[in-house]
Amino acid sequence: MKRSKCASAAQWYFRRVGDPAYSSPAPFPPRMIAGPGAEQASRGVCGAPGGVTGSTFFSRGSAVVGRVTSRGVLCALGLLLAGTLAYAQTPAKVELQQAGQSGWRLQVNGADFVIRGAGGATAPGLLEKLKEAGGNCVRTWGVDTLEAKVSGGARFVDRAQQLGLMVVPGLWVEHERHGFNYADAAKVRQQREKILAAVRQYKNHPAVLLWGLGNEMEGPTSPTGSVAVLKEVEELARLIKQEDPAHPVMSVIAFNAAKIENVKRCCPSLDILGVNSYGGAAGAGEALKRGGWTKPFAVTEFGVRGPWEVATTAWGAPLEPTSHEKARTFYATQRLVTELNDGKEQCLGTFAFIWGWKQERTATWFGMFLPTLEKLAPVDAMTRAWTGQWPVQRCPEIRALNSAAAGKTAKPGQPLTATLEMEIPAGAAFTYDWQVVAESSTIGVGGDAEAAPAAFPDLVKQNNSTNCAFVAPSASGNYRLFVTVHDGHGSAATANFPFRVAP
Amino acid sequence: MKKLIIAALAMSGLALAAPDFGDHKSETLTTKAWKAHGAGNAEDALAYTAKCLELYEAEAKKMQAALKELPANEPKEETFKRWALNDVGTCLFIKGEVLLKKGDKKGAKEALSKLVGEFKFAQCWDEKGWFWKPADAAKQKLVELEFDEKK
Repeated sequence: MKRSKCASAAQWYFRRVGDPAYSSPAPFPPRMIAGPGAEQASRGVCGAPGGVTGSTFFSRGSAVVGRVTSRGVLCALGLLLAGTLAYAQTPAKVELQQAGQSGWRLQVNGADFVIRGAGGATAPGLLEKLKEAGGNCVRTWGVDTLEAKVSGGARFVDRAQQLGLMVVPGLWVEHERHGFNYADAAKVRQQREKILAAVRQYKNHPAVLLWGLGNEMEGPTSPTGSVAVLKEVEELARLIKQEDPAHPVMSVIAFNAAKIENVKRCCPSLDILGVNSYGGAAGAGEALKRGGWTKPFAVTEFGVRGPWEVATTAWGAPLEPTSHEKARTFYATQRLVTELNDGKEQCLGTFAFIWGWKQERTATWFGMFLPTLEKLAPVDAMTRAWTGQWPVQRCPEIRALNSAAAGKTAKPGQPLTATLEMEIPAGAAFTYDWQVVAESSTIGVGGDAEAAPAAFPDLVKQNNSTNCAFVAPSASGNYRLFVTVHDGHGSAATANFPFRVAP
Repeated sequence: MKKLIIAALAMSGLALAAPDFGDHKSETLTTKAWKAHGAGNAEDALAYTAKCLELYEAEAKKMQAALKELPANEPKEETFKRWALNDVGTCLFIKGEVLLKKGDKKGAKEALSKLVGEFKFAQCWDEKGWFWKPADAAKQKLVELEFDEKK
């Protein structure tokens, strides 16, 4: 909160003195200027009613963004001091170099840097687990995450730096499918200002590796990508490079080889292309190369095959792999795209998705952790891929989840059973948690937020064992039976199957 | 006479149980192999893939040899013209999948490695509207197998 107070004053200071419109360079590192929430803070704190009378100031878009008060002036003075201290922060020296005829490598402070990354890690404790697993980089989708308080109350971006992790701050670029109109000049200008403010704020932070400009903004389901959006991505990339020539700019698309042509044509200023790809991730390098992409790329989201890429039941419910099956896919994709497949020489590294948990189709489909911070097998797989070693404590391994109800239709109230085939090491004391959950009814596109569906704990009659007895819900509909196996030492395993209830 | 009748009945019974290869076209055999695999009928799936390989492997090899790389932005119809290559490649992938499901990792590896090594330009049409490459999927499966072996 204290930081935000100062941010509003700094914002004023910058706008009057450091704004390029006033032809004067910023007097102190811009990372101290206009943090996320600064506008809110300016209304609620520095410009709070009861403050000493002050004058209203305006942004270029003429929206009131704050008031100058004596408290604000004090804040600005404080910032001058803090800004001086912040000058001590030196950005990492990040360079892209050509390696051989068509290869690329990333160097940080003069040393080769292969991205061993993950997306997420926002919950306290997860950055530490990324470091422990051998990761070296974390990607966010927005800059707000950089301010999130993580372990010990530290800012995400500072904690990452303490741990020796680099950060790819996501600079959110709005999506047309969310209603953003790229023909609206005022909105486009506002977006540019917001993005450039974020760049100014963080460009000197030593943890910043490169900029992640947008995420699937060209349209996750668009066959060739929106040209209007890609043209704006180009303009943003150009402006970012003017503001911060020290960091490469990467933009992230939902990968589809048919988009490469438009990206090449519309976005010549991009240094790196980030591709989000699941079932096709291993072949991304080859596809990019064949499509004529000659610059470097990174796989910015990959992991388990998506619900849109797997077999389904007769009513269209996708069959989710077990956590062990997912681990295999993570491992194989990582090896293929970075070490084995054509195009690997252009690949700067990967970001596993998602170092955390997320409701997307199910509560467990994409998450590499449970909300309890227990790791799942994909974390073990990435540890193996990144370090060459398995973690000391491996996750439990589910071999199969069997049930006559799997993928079938049951009668309301019908008694049902399920059995786990497990690899149980000697001395292990696993616990088992079975749950009947309604199928998600708010299925988003491109990772949009989804509400968690209802659970029916009373329907499980025999729990905490490899065998489960449960009863079909009384209401007709689509459901899943989930099982989570806990080893009691911070690791877990998951599996589920869909079933249907009809009279 | 009685023995002959029994033998004839037995043979007709066997004939009934044998997989129906239909018109023996590569497309038919491949479709039937997918369906049998989907239905959990491993033996029929293996029989269809074996027949497809027996009849069309040589032609598939010729088609593969004629390519240095896959043509970029090729119309769908052109891809379908390499029918033998596409179907033999797909059948090898199905064979690998079936054998894996049966627990025959060695056999699965052989089938998948053959696909990667000899038929890498095979393509399979997905009803969702795109081609995928069985050899790429096979490569992924082979590394996934390596993952399990590295325990």
